[in-house]
Amino acid sequence: MRKPSNVVYGVEERPPLGVTVVSGLQHAGLMSMFLLYPVLIARAADAPVEVAAAMVSFTLIAMAIGTVLQVIRLGPFGSGYLCAPIPSIVYLVPSLVVAKQAGLETVFGMTIAAGLFEMALARALRPLRPIFPPEIIGVVVLIVGVATGLLGLRIAFGGGGAGAVEPAELWLGLVTLGLMVALNVWGGGFLRIFCVLIGMTAGYLLAGVLGIIPQESFDGIAKAQVLAIPDPGYVGWKLDLSYALPFAVAGVAATLKVMGNVATCQKADNADWVRVSMGDVTRGVLADGAGTVLAGVVGAQGLNSSPTVVGLATASGVLSRRVGYSIAAILFALAFLPKIGALFYLMPRMIAASALIFSSTFIVVNGLQVMTSRLLDARKTLVIGLALLAAFAVDAQPELLRSLPETLQPVLGTSLVLGTVVGLALNLLFRIGARRTRELTVPLGAVPSERIEAFLQASGESWGARADVIGRAKFNLVQSIETILEGCDPEGPLEVEASFDEYHVVIGVSYRGPLLELPEARPTNDEIMETEEGHRRLAGFMLRRYADRVSSTHKAGLSTVTFTFDH
Amino acid sequence: MILNEQSAGNVTIVEAVGRLDSANSPKVQDRVGALITGGATSLLLDLGHVEYVSSAGFRSLLLLARQAGQARCRFVLCGLTPKVKQLFDLGGFLDLLPIAATREEGIAAAQ
Repeated sequence: MRKPSNVVYGVEERPPLGVTVVSGLQHAGLMSMFLLYPVLIARAADAPVEVAAAMVSFTLIAMAIGTVLQVIRLGPFGSGYLCAPIPSIVYLVPSLVVAKQAGLETVFGMTIAAGLFEMALARALRPLRPIFPPEIIGVVVLIVGVATGLLGLRIAFGGGGAGAVEPAELWLGLVTLGLMVALNVWGGGFLRIFCVLIGMTAGYLLAGVLGIIPQESFDGIAKAQVLAIPDPGYVGWKLDLSYALPFAVAGVAATLKVMGNVATCQKADNADWVRVSMGDVTRGVLADGAGTVLAGVVGAQGLNSSPTVVGLATASGVLSRRVGYSIAAILFALAFLPKIGALFYLMPRMIAASALIFSSTFIVVNGLQVMTSRLLDARKTLVIGLALLAAFAVDAQPELLRSLPETLQPVLGTSLVLGTVVGLALNLLFRIGARRTRELTVPLGAVPSERIEAFLQASGESWGARADVIGRAKFNLVQSIETILEGCDPEGPLEVEASFDEYHVVIGVSYRGPLLELPEARPTNDEIMETEEGHRRLAGFMLRRYADRVSSTHKAGLSTVTFTFDH
Repeated sequence: MILNEQSAGNVTIVEAVGRLDSANSPKVQDRVGALITGGATSLLLDLGHVEYVSSAGFRSLLLLARQAGQARCRFVLCGLTPKVKQLFDLGGFLDLLPIAATREEGIAAAQ
């Protein structure tokens, strides 16, 4: 595993305390912008201001605990990566509907159910892996990236009756975003690491100088108490199965986002990354689901691992999971310090927009990288293209959504969910006939290795398999045939069967003769040099080590050795 | 398998091109073995253009290293591609044989 050159502190590295704390502050500042969501949900339920304030505080507490659960790697919980949760857009739309129609108690009850569903999905991720391939995960991350950027633009330029943009405001936005970009591109060391925090602080100062901090920000900050213990009096839980579908879909989207974030973090931390480690993903999804359960229990909005946090981490080059503890401590403190919290989430719109737009660019590229980590054949190209088109159609062509049955409209009402559902459905459809098998008969006598390699190369190209995996499979096929022909005295031709099902390349070699030994221990150098058996055992040892799994059978004189390579 | 011979000072360089498998390794073993027997004191085997090494190839390299040791000849390998280096690692040969990253480093190590 090699650390990429743009990473300052890798996942397992320990940055200095100052960097850890200020990085935490930078992330907490960005994450706090999403506290607008629980406020919207409280408003949808016609809850009083005090309830909205308490809901924000409890959301902060759930975010703090959820962040620790994600980075800690404790038992089955935690990916160990900086995949901190925020109040998520995937739960916002169904929560708004439920808050309006059935009240906050049903929102919290259904949030708990969605979290439990996500935890159940975590336990079944390995068998479900073919349904959630990297291209779908990449699509989800990319859609979130675009949605984050568009959210930034919406905050900056319109929607919600924010009013027309004054020239001074436009300059504020351009200077803030320009400073973040300049520090990230040309700044070194701390300037790059803290580019977003420096940009936001400079933006606040400039806004003060220009006199364009909105009055409601002053009022909101002035009204907020310095120290307050949130009142959980509003919290209650109700289940209503008629809302199960939208929350279940949200749970699936949340799971995919965690998978995308973990994959992005793994890739960002390791220059030699080739595939997602499912162990980390499973622990990450379990922690994410537990965070959402906790959110429902304490009366907060459903949480989900934030691509924005991952985008900022990759932009700053600080991936250390220790920053997660710093984020958690700051978020927890903010839950009891409403005045400071208000400073963050009542941020002038151009400053908030700049931070979101800046982070969105990194999320988009992270999504593209995960998506294209494998060769893309016609099936995958169609899945990606049509899923993205469906996602962007939600905003660009809203008539499409309105043409759906009314019951489905709130379920599929966001670009993320519609894009995810279309991608998942097409992926399932295109799995028909996806498993392909090719065969080769190798006659006794001298067979050019190049011909055997060419067979597997052509197979791999037609499958769209990764070149590195096919390269390993080629070694095993050529080496096993060479060893069998020389050491096992086969009675007839060797039959090779190579198959691919998107997740595994499987090579089987069958012949009539004694079974090829695949020892777990390496023979000594003297054995290798002095005896043919030692030489054969070396071949078997290397074959075993190069494949991800090996098996061998011998029935009625027919021996079969099988090599499986994860893809 | 093509074998090209050159020399740099007292170092005899053998550049192998092709596959070091059961079909070709006897040729390498015979040629390099003959150089050792012929009195070479420093030998550099450049594997930069070798795309594949099978167990038979590793066996030949072990035998050559032993022969060189007995003849007091410095025997160094160089130029392993990442793929071939992975095979060396897999077979437990990375620490067994003297390996230099580049031909220049190999010449220095063989002297």
